[in-house]
Amino acid sequence: MSILSPEQKSIQQAAKEFVAKVIIPNAAKFDKSGEFPMLLLEASKPSNIFAMAVPKEFGGLNYDALTQALVLEEWGYGCAGMGTTLAASVLSMDSVLIAGTDEQKRRYFKPMLNAEIGSFGLTEPGAGSDAAAGTATAVKKGDEYILNGTKCWITNGGFATVYVIFANTDPAAGVKGISAFIVERGLPGFTIGTTDHKLGIRASNTVELLLKDVHVPATNLLGKEGEGMKIAMKTLDMARPAIAALSVGIAQRALDTCVAHVHARFPGKPFPGQTLQFKLADMQILVEAARETLHQAMQLRDAGVPYSKESAICKTFCSDVAMQVSATAVSLMGSYGYTSELGKYMRDSKIMQIYEGTNQIQRLVISRAVLAHAPAAGAAQKAGK
Amino acid sequence: MNFELTEEQQLIGQSARDFGKQYIEPIAVELDHTGEYPKALVQALAKHDFMGLLLPDDVGGAAAGFVSYVEVIEDLSRYCAAVASIVNNHTIAAYVIQQWGTADQKKEYLPSLAKGELLGGVAIYEHGPTPGVGAEALVATKQDVGYVLNGKKAFVRNAGEAGVYVVFAITDPALGAKSLTAFLVKAAAIGVTVGEKLETMGLKGCPVADLTFENVVLAETALLGTVNGGAAIASQALAVASVAEAAQTVGIGQAAVEHAAAYAKQRVQFGKPVATLQAIQTLLAEVATDCHLARLGLRNAALLIEEGKPFEVEAAMVKSFLARLGSKMLIDTCQVEGGFGYSESMPLPRMFRDIAGTNLLDAPGDFPEKLIAASIA
Repeated sequence: MSILSPEQKSIQQAAKEFVAKVIIPNAAKFDKSGEFPMLLLEASKPSNIFAMAVPKEFGGLNYDALTQALVLEEWGYGCAGMGTTLAASVLSMDSVLIAGTDEQKRRYFKPMLNAEIGSFGLTEPGAGSDAAAGTATAVKKGDEYILNGTKCWITNGGFATVYVIFANTDPAAGVKGISAFIVERGLPGFTIGTTDHKLGIRASNTVELLLKDVHVPATNLLGKEGEGMKIAMKTLDMARPAIAALSVGIAQRALDTCVAHVHARFPGKPFPGQTLQFKLADMQILVEAARETLHQAMQLRDAGVPYSKESAICKTFCSDVAMQVSATAVSLMGSYGYTSELGKYMRDSKIMQIYEGTNQIQRLVISRAVLAHAPAAGAAQKAGK
Repeated sequence: MNFELTEEQQLIGQSARDFGKQYIEPIAVELDHTGEYPKALVQALAKHDFMGLLLPDDVGGAAAGFVSYVEVIEDLSRYCAAVASIVNNHTIAAYVIQQWGTADQKKEYLPSLAKGELLGGVAIYEHGPTPGVGAEALVATKQDVGYVLNGKKAFVRNAGEAGVYVVFAITDPALGAKSLTAFLVKAAAIGVTVGEKLETMGLKGCPVADLTFENVVLAETALLGTVNGGAAIASQALAVASVAEAAQTVGIGQAAVEHAAAYAKQRVQFGKPVATLQAIQTLLAEVATDCHLARLGLRNAALLIEEGKPFEVEAAMVKSFLARLGSKMLIDTCQVEGGFGYSESMPLPRMFRDIAGTNLLDAPGDFPEKLIAASIA
């Protein structure tokens, strides 16, 4: 277990209490209906948790990366759908933190101080893993940009107040023409398309965003023209561990559910054989290793050390762990597993391996890092002999 | 052994695929949404002789061998595994009566089971640690004539729709599971109540519920097999059922990998179909391999069953293999289809939810590995 400061412990404790009081009792209901849990935003107002990533000077809670991960793990434990709502809002903020001016930050973060949410619009139907293939355009006209295009699988899209949207200001330049913009809800021509009904994280809102001649003030450009892809990649580096944190929460919940069921089914009895016991041990090993990997990446980030590879590793490992632990839990608990909330953890886990960069894309990043430098001569010689 | 299916086995498989295409495919999505038992479809299955596959000619069955049977289950599962699950639970009930029933019991139940006029179900599991243990264990108390049943069975498939259940109860709480005894209980018997239909992750349309027995009076003729001879019947029934369940897993996995491969060929990223990427090829290849090996294993077990040879170890191996790799087939094929495939408007999410229900380890402490390990000489 990482050594947490007293402040981190108390924030973690507060998150646990919020999750127990607000998220867990409502998780099944919104998972079933697929509706967006507005009550979550209302209930978050007193704690201001949607401003957890907002720096102090803008009125936010200014949590460091590790502390944010602690909160997100708890939310993932309660409901990865609702956790996704928080994670995706923070994701959009990260772009503004990376590239925004003070004025842009003030404007973008203000809604979060009132438990409103943000949304990050990068993906398009033809541009998923290949984010550079986006075809949305932004044409400068006077002191405005005019945005056109379609974004898909946009988390929080239907309920956000502010958005970071990527569009190309110089299509001839390809990926080097992609730029990032702050777009406010309600601008003429900016509409919400169809809502996706998903296998899991059903409490989170996933929509299409339609941009038709949307006039955005030129002051909403984040960074410079053509810096969009750089901003997006940095944002995803920052945001990926959030998915790892949700994943650790799901895996811990699946394990706890198994343990509770085993206790209920074998009251006062010896627990059945080593097969079951060792499978539970394996789950525990994976959950703890996943959490440590995540915390280590967060400590690197908080120390200001490059952590791009570690970010990819923790996203991949933690989401694979959530998937494996939840699938094992369903199978191991038999019909009980199949008729219980364990199924939800399995459905929710699946997207953790896909969104914010599929685990295949992460492996691409990790393999490049692995192969970037040949090992020291001694090691290579040894391997050759 | 011969790895090729005979012409007859191939034909019966083809007829199941034809049936699936014509009757199941059009309703599979709706069935998944409503979760309502597909009465009309089961009638169509019966009309096409799929409800009496393992039963002999003289009671109106199709007298298909077990290899043909698992072929049908795999093929139906390609379209909807819930339907295959209804058929399997029904067929296993009929199989148990065929194997252990008296002449009178066979005469009473098998013709209507074969015609699909009567649906069968099997009630083995309980909420306690193992059947026969715990406060809610189903107990059969011997009367001067016949038995009285009191207690509860858990997670019964086809519950509420079946007309007859093969029910396992203990006759002596002191002996516990050693006194497990099988009975044939009509759904209409006074004191039998079907609990609320349980919410399942998938296989929707195949109802699952608990059965409660309150002073259910049974005639002597309801006894199936011998008194305290139920454990052997239960383990045999579970072993046979698990081979067909493996065919469900393989049917779903095969349909999913074919869908994912087709998707990968048309989904263009980085300027070319993702099917050209090694990472995607590896995912697809591993699933196809697992499917193929599981199919060989389950056909081998099915052939042993068909030939009346010991099959339990081979069946346990298939179960162990799929408990590890069954759900992974959909975890990996869903990965190929990415964000698109995560939408319930696409077919893989249903298969993801369904496949998880086909490789459950339902008897705690009694894992397939136990039998396998013991068999290694």
